[in-house]
Amino acid sequence: MAREECKAMLDALNKTTACYHHLVLTVGGSADSQNLREELQKTRQKARELAVTTGARLTVALRNRGLAAEDRAEFERLWVAFSGCLDILEADMQRALALGAAFPLHTPLRPLVRTGVTGDSSRVAARALSARSLSHQAERDFDVSDLKELEREVLQVGEMINDMEMKVNVPRWTVQAQQTAGAELLSSNSMGASSVGAVSVEEPSRSCNPSKALAATLFSAVLLAAVALALSVVKL
Amino acid sequence: MCGGCRGLQRNTPQAVRDSSDLTAVTAAGPLRPGGHTLAAWDYRRPGTLVPLGPSPGEPLFAGSAPGPSPRPLGPLVPWKMERMVVRMQDPDQGVRTRSQRLLITVIPHAVTGSDVVEWLVRKLCISEEEALHLGSLLAQHGYIYPLREPRSLALRPDETPYRFQTPYFWTSTLWPAAELDYAIYLTKKNIQRQGALVTHEKEHYDQLHKKINHTWDLVVMQAREQLRAAKQRRKGDRLVIACQEQTYWLVNRPPPGVPNVLEQGPERGSNNANQVQMSLDFYKREIEWSRKALGRTRVKSSICLEAFLTFSHQRGPHDPILAGCLPSNPWVTDDDAYWAMNAPTVAMPTKLRVERWGFSFRELLDDPMGRAHFMDFLQKEFSAENLSFWEACEELRFGGQAQIPTLVDTVYQQFLAPGAAHWVNIDSRTMERTLEGLHQPHRYVLDDAQLHIYMLMKKDSYPRFMKSDMYQGLLAEAVIPLETKRRVFPFMRKPRLSSPSPALPPTSGEPSAAGSAAGGDEES
Repeated sequence: MAREECKAMLDALNKTTACYHHLVLTVGGSADSQNLREELQKTRQKARELAVTTGARLTVALRNRGLAAEDRAEFERLWVAFSGCLDILEADMQRALALGAAFPLHTPLRPLVRTGVTGDSSRVAARALSARSLSHQAERDFDVSDLKELEREVLQVGEMINDMEMKVNVPRWTVQAQQTAGAELLSSNSMGASSVGAVSVEEPSRSCNPSKALAATLFSAVLLAAVALALSVVKL
Repeated sequence: MCGGCRGLQRNTPQAVRDSSDLTAVTAAGPLRPGGHTLAAWDYRRPGTLVPLGPSPGEPLFAGSAPGPSPRPLGPLVPWKMERMVVRMQDPDQGVRTRSQRLLITVIPHAVTGSDVVEWLVRKLCISEEEALHLGSLLAQHGYIYPLREPRSLALRPDETPYRFQTPYFWTSTLWPAAELDYAIYLTKKNIQRQGALVTHEKEHYDQLHKKINHTWDLVVMQAREQLRAAKQRRKGDRLVIACQEQTYWLVNRPPPGVPNVLEQGPERGSNNANQVQMSLDFYKREIEWSRKALGRTRVKSSICLEAFLTFSHQRGPHDPILAGCLPSNPWVTDDDAYWAMNAPTVAMPTKLRVERWGFSFRELLDDPMGRAHFMDFLQKEFSAENLSFWEACEELRFGGQAQIPTLVDTVYQQFLAPGAAHWVNIDSRTMERTLEGLHQPHRYVLDDAQLHIYMLMKKDSYPRFMKSDMYQGLLAEAVIPLETKRRVFPFMRKPRLSSPSPALPPTSGEPSAAGSAAGGDEES
């Protein structure tokens, strides 16, 4: 089904955009390196490819006049999500360009901002490219040559967005989203449990403690009860 | 800007959004390494051309080059603070950093408040108070954030640890925080906190859900994916990035009660589009203007105020709002007797009206009834032609352009010709000038003569009119309307007639009867 295909491609694009956003966050900070720039380049290339194919599919589907009403509504929803995703991607690419130019890596003129982020981002890039792992070594002057390409790509993405808006006319006010407010909480049980540790406060110990403390008290209470029973049995 | 808005924006044809225009710009400027190269339209601020790619060492945002990019002036601009933060990063000359030790993880690059203040004092050679103020400004704008109490962005000059914000989240005027991003952030927080958001965040969440409902699918998808992407990182990095984002949104969407530092008052923030160059011409123009200003006639404020006081004192009793209007205020009692009595032409003028004729000659002439009585008086004194001439001149001044030649002729024949029927007495010089001007008649050709006659009437006839028996008789006869009696039983009010709708053609009889019945029934 065309719809499922489009949905799957949109999910992939969404994943890549999210990973790209996450990588751009660290540009200019202490985790910035040539490797990061190369990961950025690979991620955005993947994102662009996905965007082109998804866009083509959706355009074909929406330009098809003989589409049923609910099908059309479904495709319009996908279209709105797709164009929003592209907007986010474009904005991130622009920021990456500005930041990359402002914080060049090859010259020591401008030191990187010490943000406290020091880890490797290869796993994020691997997730974006749907690969197991990513091991590479970028050349020394990668970022300089990359910047020019990035400029061109930003323009290309802009043109693509423009083209698509010209080809397909989807009025935003008629689209009704499927997700209700708070929909993200329903299917996020698996995420919630594991992300307790990632609560955004600098006191993770405090957040872990209540549950641990409760478990500890329960256990000790049970233990005491068992000991008391054993003693009473012994006394008897 | 939400995706929807940008979509709509793209649908409108914008001349400069053609790809051809942009390629022209790219072709013009060769892509030099590290130089000001490409300029592109910043979609979020239509009308600005932003150089993408400032050279290293230059401030990151808000375009360093003087050019089309608007550069906000003022003591607190983001690029100044950025420069300072970058200087702080110098490995030798910068601020001393320590490591922050959490339970298991160790996160580097923490600075204490006292270190920051001490560095500012040393580098900028300022007093400690000023350094503290600067530091707290940095914190308020989100360039450094506290680690212990992340919600209060204030700098304390002691051992409290801080950390620097990543450049992506620096306060920049070029990329104002978008609603879509805020929605994604709130959704992420919702997932992490299992629905326990702070009150104002919950409100924002609901508002955004209504506002950008069409992209809510994208919001949820992106939020989930961003959280999954963040999980691929080390725990320390994850914490730091989460703190950074939280600080960013604290600055851009401050909680209620916290002043919004990004707001600029109406005086500030507007960059003068025409930047005045302090050149010789500018100063010459300023001197000329000041000289002219000195030569203007001035009236002392004491004199002005005295005149104002006498005016108010004289006119006070005549003002219907200040002194009440008799018989009654039509807007209050639905009784339009007041308007009927003060109509332009009425048989019996009210006392206040007749008194007003005594205030000035202008008042007398402006009132049609006053003018009529004055004309009667002048006829008795055989000088009515003055007033007729004055009226004819007024008609010339304010009449139609096409009637001017004929009117001027009539006036000449009647009033100014040597043997005219109603010859007016104008002094010889004015008469000469007027007669010359009559050859090319225009609207204001009789102005001099009119003024002469006006002053004549004002100085001569007007005082006599005021003292005359006619005027005194009018004053004595003038009626003071009685105030309408307040009805004892308020519910026996006069039935209100429904005002006819201007859209319907006026019909008499039935609608008014129906309206009065309805008005009598309802007691509002």
